[in-house]
Amino acid sequence: MSIEEKEKKRKRVLVAMSGGVDSSVAAALLVEQGYDVIGCTMQVWDYSKTPQKNDCDIDAGSANNGTCCSSDDVDDARWVCEQLNIPFYILNCEDQFQAQVIDPFIESYLSGETPIPCVNCNTFLKFSHLYKKMKELDCDYLATGHYAKLILDEKGEHLIQTSEDEHKDQTYFLFTLKKEILSKLLFPVGDMEKPEVRKIAEEKNLVVAKKKDSIGICFIGKSGYKNFFDKHVASDLFKGGDVVLYPENKVLGKHEGLHGYTYGQRKSLGVSFTEPLFVKELDMKNDRLIVCREQDLYSSTVEVKDYNFFSEVNEGDEYRVKVRYQHKGSTAKIISKKDNKIELGFKEPQRSITPGQAAVFYKDKILFGGGWIK
Amino acid sequence: MKPVFLDHNATTFPSKTVVKALANFSAWGNPSSIHQSGQKARSILTQARRQIAKEIGCAPGEVIFTSGGSESNNLAIKGMLDHIIKIGRPKIISSVVEHPSVFNALKDLDENLIEVIRVPVTKEKGFDYEFLEEKLRSENVGLVSVMTANNETGEVFDIDRIVELAKKYGSFVHSDMVQTLGKLPVDLLKTRVDLASFSAHKFYSLKGLGVLFQRKGTPLLREISGGGQERGRRAGTENVLAAVCLGEQIKSLSETKDKVKAIKLLRDLMETRIKSEIGDVEVLCEKRERLSNSSMLFINGVEGETLLMNMDLKGYEISTGAACSSGNPEPSPVLIAMGLTNKEASCSMRLSLGWETTEDEINGFVDTLKEVVKRLRSLT
Repeated sequence: MSIEEKEKKRKRVLVAMSGGVDSSVAAALLVEQGYDVIGCTMQVWDYSKTPQKNDCDIDAGSANNGTCCSSDDVDDARWVCEQLNIPFYILNCEDQFQAQVIDPFIESYLSGETPIPCVNCNTFLKFSHLYKKMKELDCDYLATGHYAKLILDEKGEHLIQTSEDEHKDQTYFLFTLKKEILSKLLFPVGDMEKPEVRKIAEEKNLVVAKKKDSIGICFIGKSGYKNFFDKHVASDLFKGGDVVLYPENKVLGKHEGLHGYTYGQRKSLGVSFTEPLFVKELDMKNDRLIVCREQDLYSSTVEVKDYNFFSEVNEGDEYRVKVRYQHKGSTAKIISKKDNKIELGFKEPQRSITPGQAAVFYKDKILFGGGWIK
Repeated sequence: MKPVFLDHNATTFPSKTVVKALANFSAWGNPSSIHQSGQKARSILTQARRQIAKEIGCAPGEVIFTSGGSESNNLAIKGMLDHIIKIGRPKIISSVVEHPSVFNALKDLDENLIEVIRVPVTKEKGFDYEFLEEKLRSENVGLVSVMTANNETGEVFDIDRIVELAKKYGSFVHSDMVQTLGKLPVDLLKTRVDLASFSAHKFYSLKGLGVLFQRKGTPLLREISGGGQERGRRAGTENVLAAVCLGEQIKSLSETKDKVKAIKLLRDLMETRIKSEIGDVEVLCEKRERLSNSSMLFINGVEGETLLMNMDLKGYEISTGAACSSGNPEPSPVLIAMGLTNKEASCSMRLSLGWETTEDEINGFVDTLKEVVKRLRSLT
């Protein structure tokens, strides 16, 4: 064993494990690389309170039927740690998850936005609460199964770069991380592609090797947004109202509550018109559903608030900006930057820029940071 | 390195006696069968039953084998309902700090049929015997169910006094005695409870076996119907293997007195060292009678969850409150019921020593704890 390897052996890593393939392989790779690895799972939902399957917002996961953060997933994570012969702990994060993910999610939705709770989960739980636990457990690093690469720039500073797997790249969800913690993070599967990760899981015979990927928001599950809000929000907060055509301001019909709709939605609007119509805006204040023709979905400017950047950004700078996770990104210039707000101008108009989503800035493959779309 | 186990109120390792009994076991027959294999199993089951009865001070016919402490507690409570309703005493008194198998068994009852009254137990004053007497005097109480010793705080309640009060007002008494074997003298000739629950795995024997003591004449109805096993009081083929193991292990019950003395010395040494060398530490129920092996500590500014994981990584197995089935640590309901805040409860650490805990282990534990607490305190 080389001196360098011996040195590595002494480094201790806390791995955040969801019970899915990516974080399981992340843990397995770290073990293989000689780290002293500890696995942990955040318990974010009290399953005992929803013992009936029909009452539960989160579909039960299992080695064959994958979703995020169900109690079967905790069992899977524990099993993988058993296979890897590393310690495993469950961290009770129910209160934090409620306060910092669920509550803001509901609040944001009620104000007419389409929130991304995964970013708050990363900001406040994975890279804050778990980061603290990592320190408390005397670890050197915190590792996750994110598809993102950590690299060093010429000044020796840590930067985040997009994953080799374009479809899986998760840097969009990492724009809020504090720069100073980057040197303490590891993304072991960050420079792999998904099939490679699965292959490793199979080679190592991990119990989760064939588990399906989690899709969408873990606590929403298959039953959808509407079902979630019907259960968690007082029904009088969602009133029926008019469906109004933009720009004519003409009432086309009625809707039964705005929580059934998302920006850009085309199907199931409940009104008939000569041309295809789309949701342009959820006007929560007046309970109006604003719909429009396709060409009216596009806009060239966007206001971004509460931003976080890893490097300095200035007025006039150009970036590739993603306005939603699935967006490929488009060139945009910073028109103004003041009072914790940035005004961005896109070279080409963008479809359905949605309040509550994030505008995330890149240069080539480097993640510069981002902010929330107002 | 083998981990040092300081969580004996959660479970215990099978003793050498038990391991030997396991190795020699051959009576795989069904005790209800008429052929020789069945007769052999029945015979050694009877021997085990007699041995257990002898050691705890009752008649063999008063021993009902169950699947564990939780079933014993459920049977004791639910099996008495019919009778206490029939005699017009449909009220049960219990305490706020019972094990979940008593606490929730009572919670599950139909409140239209049974009223449950819970005696306060506070951090400052302990069990409120006056409240108990007042309720016994003023209400039609059919059953009192109070544990003899608490699994988390280790506090020992005056069960003889509770029996005396209950009997004075004509109530039946059940006691969850799961934490007593090997930690307190158990003599049911002297302690006149009507029903008492025990668990084999808390006393260096196997999981999957419990005992419910039913004093002769106590009108208990079965909860599990089936064949006529356990004289019709609990159906299901008996767990002969576990019963034989407990029958062997329980012969060592007479050593309890000496063991308790030795363990108490170690526990006191541990607490003294922790208080003086770590500082800002509180011992719960310190001034009241506690199990000699138990210690519930609050280390100010250090979360129990974090402490537990750190100690585990260093080879010391402890707990933060009751063991939860999911392994997901939550503030202990017992501590909350005793008037502690969530924050205080989250800084708790439960230590429970066993018959084979050594002074070296305790010193090693305190040394390590000191180092870990110092590091954790420096982070905040």
